[in-house]
Amino acid sequence: MSEPVMGWVVCRPRAARRVALLATALSLFGAVVLSTAVQAASDTTAPAVFAIESPKAAKGLMIDVVHAGKRLVAVGDRGHILYSDDQGSTWTQAKVPTRQLLTAVFFTDDKQGWAVGHDAQILASTDGGATWAVQYQDLKREAPLLDIWFKDASHGLAVGAYGALIETTDGGKTWEDVSDRLDNEDQFHLNAIARIKDAGLFIVGEQGSMFRSSDDGQTWEKLEGPYEGSLFGVISTAQPQTLLAYGLRGNLYRSTDFGSTWEQVELNAARGALEFGLSGATLLDDGALVVVGNGGSVVVSHDDGLTFSVFNRPDRISLSAVTAAGNGNLILVGQGGVRVAKPTGAELEKQ
Amino acid sequence: MSSHHNDKATFLERLIFNNRPAVIVICLLVSIFLFWQATLIRPSTSFEKMIPLKHPFIEKMMEHRNDLANLGNTVRISVEAKDGDIFTKEYMETLRQINDEVFYISGVDRSGLKSLWSPSVRWTEVTEEGFAGGEVIPQSYNGSPQSLDQLRNNVLKSGQVGRLVANDFKSSIVDIPLLEAYPDPQDQGKLLALDYQKFSHELEDKIRTKFQEQNPNVQIHIVGFAKKVGDLIDGLIMVVLFFGVAFVITLVLLLWFTNCLRSTIAVLSTTLVAVVWQLGLMHFFGFGLDPYSMLVPFLIFAIGISHGVQKINGIALQSSEADNALTAARRTFRQLFLPGMIAILADAVGFITLLIIDIGVIRELAIGASIGVAVIVFTNLILLPVAISYAGISARAIARSKKDANREHPFWRLLSNFASPKVAPISIALALVAFGGGLWYSQNLKIGDLDQGAPELRPDSRYNKDNNFIISNYSTSSDVLVVMVKTKAEGCSRYEAMAPIDQLMWKMQNTEGVQSAISLVTVSKQMIKGMNEGNLKWETLSRNPDVLNNSIARADGLYNNNCSLAPVLVFLNDHKAETLDRAVHAVQDFARENNKDGLEFILAAGNAGIEAATNEVIKESELIILILVYLCVATMCMITFRSWAATLCIVLPLVLTSVLGNALMAFMGIGVKVATLPVVALGVGIGVDYGIYIYSRLESFLRAGLPLQEAYYQTLKSTGKAVLFTGLCLAIGVCTWIFSAIKFQADMGLMLTFMLLWNMFGALWLLPALARFLIKPEKLAGQKGNSLFAH
Repeated sequence: MSEPVMGWVVCRPRAARRVALLATALSLFGAVVLSTAVQAASDTTAPAVFAIESPKAAKGLMIDVVHAGKRLVAVGDRGHILYSDDQGSTWTQAKVPTRQLLTAVFFTDDKQGWAVGHDAQILASTDGGATWAVQYQDLKREAPLLDIWFKDASHGLAVGAYGALIETTDGGKTWEDVSDRLDNEDQFHLNAIARIKDAGLFIVGEQGSMFRSSDDGQTWEKLEGPYEGSLFGVISTAQPQTLLAYGLRGNLYRSTDFGSTWEQVELNAARGALEFGLSGATLLDDGALVVVGNGGSVVVSHDDGLTFSVFNRPDRISLSAVTAAGNGNLILVGQGGVRVAKPTGAELEKQ
Repeated sequence: MSSHHNDKATFLERLIFNNRPAVIVICLLVSIFLFWQATLIRPSTSFEKMIPLKHPFIEKMMEHRNDLANLGNTVRISVEAKDGDIFTKEYMETLRQINDEVFYISGVDRSGLKSLWSPSVRWTEVTEEGFAGGEVIPQSYNGSPQSLDQLRNNVLKSGQVGRLVANDFKSSIVDIPLLEAYPDPQDQGKLLALDYQKFSHELEDKIRTKFQEQNPNVQIHIVGFAKKVGDLIDGLIMVVLFFGVAFVITLVLLLWFTNCLRSTIAVLSTTLVAVVWQLGLMHFFGFGLDPYSMLVPFLIFAIGISHGVQKINGIALQSSEADNALTAARRTFRQLFLPGMIAILADAVGFITLLIIDIGVIRELAIGASIGVAVIVFTNLILLPVAISYAGISARAIARSKKDANREHPFWRLLSNFASPKVAPISIALALVAFGGGLWYSQNLKIGDLDQGAPELRPDSRYNKDNNFIISNYSTSSDVLVVMVKTKAEGCSRYEAMAPIDQLMWKMQNTEGVQSAISLVTVSKQMIKGMNEGNLKWETLSRNPDVLNNSIARADGLYNNNCSLAPVLVFLNDHKAETLDRAVHAVQDFARENNKDGLEFILAAGNAGIEAATNEVIKESELIILILVYLCVATMCMITFRSWAATLCIVLPLVLTSVLGNALMAFMGIGVKVATLPVVALGVGIGVDYGIYIYSRLESFLRAGLPLQEAYYQTLKSTGKAVLFTGLCLAIGVCTWIFSAIKFQADMGLMLTFMLLWNMFGALWLLPALARFLIKPEKLAGQKGNSLFAH
């Protein structure tokens, strides 16, 4: 079982808005004097600063990876967007007009795609991820968007920190803040949004918060989740109404009724229960589910999420997202960039 | 052959030889005083003397020294488990004992001491309730398999892998910050300065030897500035041994050469007097002995011996004609004082040109060596003939020199062919080929230190092996370039400063030769991620000033007290000149684009920053030194011989030596650096002696009307042996350094040995060949000439 927590436990700053308090406390140590003047970064349109093209981009922090048709597209640190047309063997860096950390990417087909990131930026591509343009940004938020979903070429939703929910109905030309559609008084972070098969949209977030919508995001219902800790992601299985939600410390829950009731799925690693946070997942063509997370965790299910086999990569790097390479292998992204792995998550053997 | 001296005594000669007792007494008194001074001289290794203080990089580093203080002086002990990994009861017990032992060594900053056993080394993790954490080795640890298992888990969660614990879990580190000055245990009010040598020995005895004996399964590796300096001082002391070796070899050679114990002792003791005077004067003028000036006594010894040999050779030759020792000594003095003075002046001029290099140790070397050669004027040009005038030379030696003067010498006869019209063109052609080849090959010559690790020590020294062990097993590099980022007070944590720092770090990481870069931004991103439950999506700078302020709270040492200076540490693959150049240029480009009011990117600190500055100074000085030293030497020759031809005959062989010396350095993989730059000046300065001695004789024989080849034969017969011997003496004096534990001393020894031997060879081989083309013997014959040697 989980090992006893020894030593000290301090109150977790649930979100950055509460950090000010903690900062004051920490400044008693004398190291930092708080500057009180909040200088909002200017919103005026400066000439676009493009991400630096670098051979090291593929080795830097990468956060999300998806398919645009057959092409793989990954996003990450410093405005790096990479694409690969050979199942992840080689990657090309796209032309991207930002240097901010990008947190999620979504493609509706092999051409149309959107990416979100810090400074509440939304970027769009119409050529399968080769070039990008900024559609939206909001520096005053001082907060990132964390996930994005599109129904079709025109209607999409993005979620983010402090309960941000914004919507477009014109393919991203204009975006509207619709956060008040959610019953989220504490402004918990919204970490992920996904469409569940034959059901609707599902959002998970900080402190176990869950919301669902059956009308493509017009109205939302708040759910009492099974878990107090933060959930980092949600994914539909191949079965109708069936989904997985996952988060801190190896917590993985399964629902077969669009989130009305939940059951915890036990993840057992070599040395006891998996203790690492889970951050990304994918549904493979054969219905298998792969969830990845910190500590090099790769957990795989072949029974729609009822049971999982757990593998921890020896390199123990933190993984953020996973997708199919297209040839049976997996593409893993996270610390140390993009890498191709065997279906178990293990490193490919060198030829 | 003794035809060309006259018997008119100069004023100087009368002054000295009419007051011989006074000369002896004065020298004795001065020697006593300076011997006392010399005994007070101490090894000193000042960091500041080894770096170009006037270089802008170094000026900036010194300006911000206090703000960078805690980047500084630490020693790291890596304890390796030879079998298995660190998670065994025995290993952890040894580690605990080492940790405790280190705690009580004087000079250790106990509050900062860090190992797996330190309570300050903790693990943290994010739980539903918040951050959880604890000591990596909890109170409940008892060495049982369960607690070792728990330890392994804690280590993984502590983020210390690659820092305190090796990447392969086969070793861990005890990190020891040092205090430059610490309270005296006897008297708490008094501060003692850290004695690097003593500290280094304590680490050897109390840690390495003791624990490797106690637990045969551990191997101990120690690195850090203090350890390196300790090893350097130990290496210095070994040099004294080399002096003994050089002394004994010289003694044997001298006996063989002079065949006379009395004159051997006279030469050795007057030369030792010169060394004592030089050391005494160094101390008198307030200098210490550093690893560079340590070599001056060797040089002085060698130069002194070589002049002494010329004197003894002269006196022996004169003795065969003169009635007594005094007359022989007086005649020799008359004959050799002037060429001796000229040669010594040439040496001094060579040394003095080194003063233009803005690096303390080189300047002290120049001053020390100049004082030394000045001293030789008194000891070997004045005291030695006076001493010999009392002691005389053994009858056997005189008899031999008489016999030598008359018999035919097949060896010298053979060598005199270098001046023949048939051999000379071949020699010149060969020399041209060698010159061209040398010039071509020396294009490969690099600036700076080329070896891995601590360049001061040998690549296979224990320190460098330890260093390699740590570099290859931990995520660190020993070559660090520090960029100082200066902001307004409290400005270093603002987004406007941190975002550009982040950009700089990425630019550097994309520069060839850079491994990684860290700064407060690195810590900030990790903290922001940590505050957001370890979610990678937050691993970036926030625009929120409170979040940023909070995030750097634990970035100790990565910003100064008032948050106006933040260092960016750039770790490099190596310290080759190209690597440093690329990194420095990348920073300079970035600074040009991004410097603005309240945000400045300043170069440089860190060992790589210092080396980059040193390389720049050396690159600038290299050509200037070469031009200056040749200009000076050529001027000296012009003044002495009043002849272009003579000057060319003497200087051109030296030029060939310099070119071949550069090629040799390129071939041996020795870079142009603080240690090898002076060699050029020293080599040329000392090398010109041979040319002056040989040419002055050759000229006098030509004036006597001999044809060139015969004149050269006579020259060789009279001074050839002395020149050959001089070359050997000098080479022996410096070649013992090749065995020094200190790498740069070995490099200097190798290069000087080569240059001194090759200069001798060049003077014997090339000078007559050049003379064949440049000098018209029929013009000189019978002329009185206008050189200084023409009386």
